[in-house]
Formats: sequence, structure tokens, C-alpha cells
Amino acid sequence: MRWLEVSVEVDAEAAEAVAEVLSRYVERGVAIEAGPDGWHAGPVVVRAYLPDDDERWARRKQIQEGLWHLGQIVRIPEPSFRSVAEEDWTEAWKKRLRVLRVGAHIVIQPSWLDYEHEAGDVVIRLDPGMAFGTGLHPTTQMCLVALEELVRPGMEVVDLGTGSGILAIAAAKLGARDVLAVDSDPQAARVARSNVIGNGVQGTVRIKRGSLSDVAGTYDLLVVNILAKVIVELVEQGLCERMRRGAFFVGAGITSDRTPEVIAAFKSKGLEILDQRQQDDWVTLLAKRP
Amino acid sequence: MKKVKAVVKLQIQAGKANPAPPVGPALAQHGINLMQFCKAYNARTAGQAGNIIPAEITIYQDGSFDFELKSPPTADLLRKAASVEKGSSEPNRDKVGTITREQLRDIAETKMKDLNAIDIEGAMRQIEGTARGMGIQVEA
Repeated sequence: MRWLEVSVEVDAEAAEAVAEVLSRYVERGVAIEAGPDGWHAGPVVVRAYLPDDDERWARRKQIQEGLWHLGQIVRIPEPSFRSVAEEDWTEAWKKRLRVLRVGAHIVIQPSWLDYEHEAGDVVIRLDPGMAFGTGLHPTTQMCLVALEELVRPGMEVVDLGTGSGILAIAAAKLGARDVLAVDSDPQAARVARSNVIGNGVQGTVRIKRGSLSDVAGTYDLLVVNILAKVIVELVEQGLCERMRRGAFFVGAGITSDRTPEVIAAFKSKGLEILDQRQQDDWVTLLAKRP
Repeated sequence: MKKVKAVVKLQIQAGKANPAPPVGPALAQHGINLMQFCKAYNARTAGQAGNIIPAEITIYQDGSFDFELKSPPTADLLRKAASVEKGSSEPNRDKVGTITREQLRDIAETKMKDLNAIDIEGAMRQIEGTARGMGIQVEA
């Protein structure tokens, strides 16, 4: 089966009116798409899909007429029409993903792809979804590399803002004895729980929906991949008091312009900065409590 | 903060998201996990069958995404307020219904948070524009 895609590029203000006209001729609803800067930052595209069958010319004409009439009130450009083949759209997103190697030994493997394991590989099985941390972003990759360098067998680790759970799973697979993974978003906590089970590390990783106040005790390593502002706030709220003597702090999600604030916050708590790494505009800080 | 790649608003029936158009082609081109969205959307809108509940999906450059449910489309609210089945096919000539200023204000209040209007007057102007495009008049 084929579909006829109608698309109209309009100002955000006219989008609802165009969507309303198109929705008269389709049964299943419309999609409105904006670029990276969101609505009101340039034109948006309204799309609708009709069966591309013998009725196509009649339907096209109806839509063109409907939009022409609307065009008497607000300026509407000509719609474009394109024939689209029906495909298995549920599978399309998988095509872009590959097995990904990060650091010396970490391998991120989408669940449906096979891969030849090499000796010493630390394999994380993970499918991108509704939680941050797919392994494709520079901040996640820098954190994985830092964990690979810092995690020693038997360590106790906290991952604040765990998202998909990728860093907590990595810490567990690198030998941590206990990992507490915390996220304030219930959706992330659910996704993380399912990824932890999918990786067989549920004996080591505990998922908690919550915040800093849910982190009791002291630890050997903290990893916080969120944002500079949040890291600074957490430090002010006593995050560094959860660090044992000699413990490490991996702070990430920091844009280069905000790095001095995070360094100042770390130093105010007596931490020693071990390294500052950058990829694109993203900085990862490695610090240690002496 | 993850970099946003695109924002897609789907105006679809509550509880009925599936991989057919418009959901499939609109989201598949951005490489996101379609079934996960459909399941989550249907679960969150299960109690609102029969209504169009828009979902605004933010797609990030790393392939992850999240979504928020939005207030019903302005056109839907206008149709209900004017008690008409559908908008006019010739809105400049053929008026299909009328709403009061009071009703216009109610709709503006419902939609305020989704409109990015500066104030209620601005929101009312936007909604009045959509109403005109549908052949629905606002009482003076």
C-alpha cells in the first residue's frame, strides 16, 4: 500500500488552522513538525497522510480547495504532495544503530544486533528510548571512559540522574560491588530498571526514584551526568559529604562556559581536580576527595 | 543538556497511537523507538477515548526522546463551543457557527499554556484567527 503525504510549510500561528483543514480529509490525525529551536522560531511543517488509491486526484483537489479558501484569510503556501510507500516504520529506527565501542573495552550493543565478542569486552545491551543515555552522546561516552579508568572491583558507586541506567550498568559490569542509581523522573526509573534486568546486573544495581536526599551513606565513586547548574546545586546541598576519603567524582553534562562554576564548587568542598576533558562543547571533570 | 533535533506534535485520537500514518512516517524519519512512544501514549491517554489529545515529542540528537500531552487542538474546542461537526469549507463566505466572547476567553484560557502568547488578549487573538479560518464567528 502507498500513502499520499500532504505537507504545508506555514508560520506556527497558522499551523492549527491548516491542521484543521487537513484533518477533515484524513481519519488518523496530523503531525506538525518544528526544527531544533521549537515553535515560533521559523516555519513549521504540517503533514497528513491519505490512502494513495484511485481517489487520489479527487482528494488532492479537495485539499487544495480547502487550503485555497483558508488562504483567503491567512497566507498559505501551496501544499506539496508526495507518494510514500508503506514500510515497517517500527523497524526503521533500528537501521541507524550500530554496535558501538567506547573506551578500551566497553561495547554498547542494541538488542537485535549480533556481535563478535572479544576477550575482555564489557558489553552493555541497550536500546535507545524514552530516557537519556543511549551511549551516542559525547557526555555519556566521556563518563563511560572515566568509569572504565576509575572503577575498581568492590567499589560502591552512586549514579545520580541515571536516565537509561547506562552508567550504572557500566559501573556494575566494571566490577563495582554496589551501585545506587537515582533519577527523579519516574519514566527514567522504569526504563533504567528494565535495562538493568536486561543486562543481568539487578543483583548489583539498585534503582531509586528520588533525589540527593535518597542517597544515604558514603561511597567510593559518584557519577553525575546532568547539567552544570544541577551539579553545583547538588554540591551545595552536601553531595560531596557522600564521598569517602579517596573517593572519585565524575561530573558531566557541563558546557565549557559553565565549567569554572563547577570547578569552584568542587574546590570549595576541598576536592582536588584530577582532569578536565572536552569533546565538542561538553566538559567532563574528574575530581577526588583527598 | 541534550541537543534537540526536532519537535513533532501529533494530533491523534487518545489511546489509538499505532505505527500507521501519521505516527509511523512522522517519527520513523527521526530514528526514534516508535513502539515505545505508542505504548506510552496509549497508556497515558487511555481514559480519554474519543478526544484528540496532542502529544508533543521532543527528539534529541542521541536518538532519545520524551513527550508531553497538550491541550486539545483549538479547532476541536471551537467546534465543540459552536456545536458544529466541522469547519466551513469556504470560511470567508460561508459561516457555520458562532461563539460568544466568553467562550473565546474560555478556550484561550485552556490553550494559554500551549500558545506562547504573552497575555490572554494575545491568546484570544490567535484563537479568533483559527475561528475565522473555520468559518466560526465571534460575537462582537
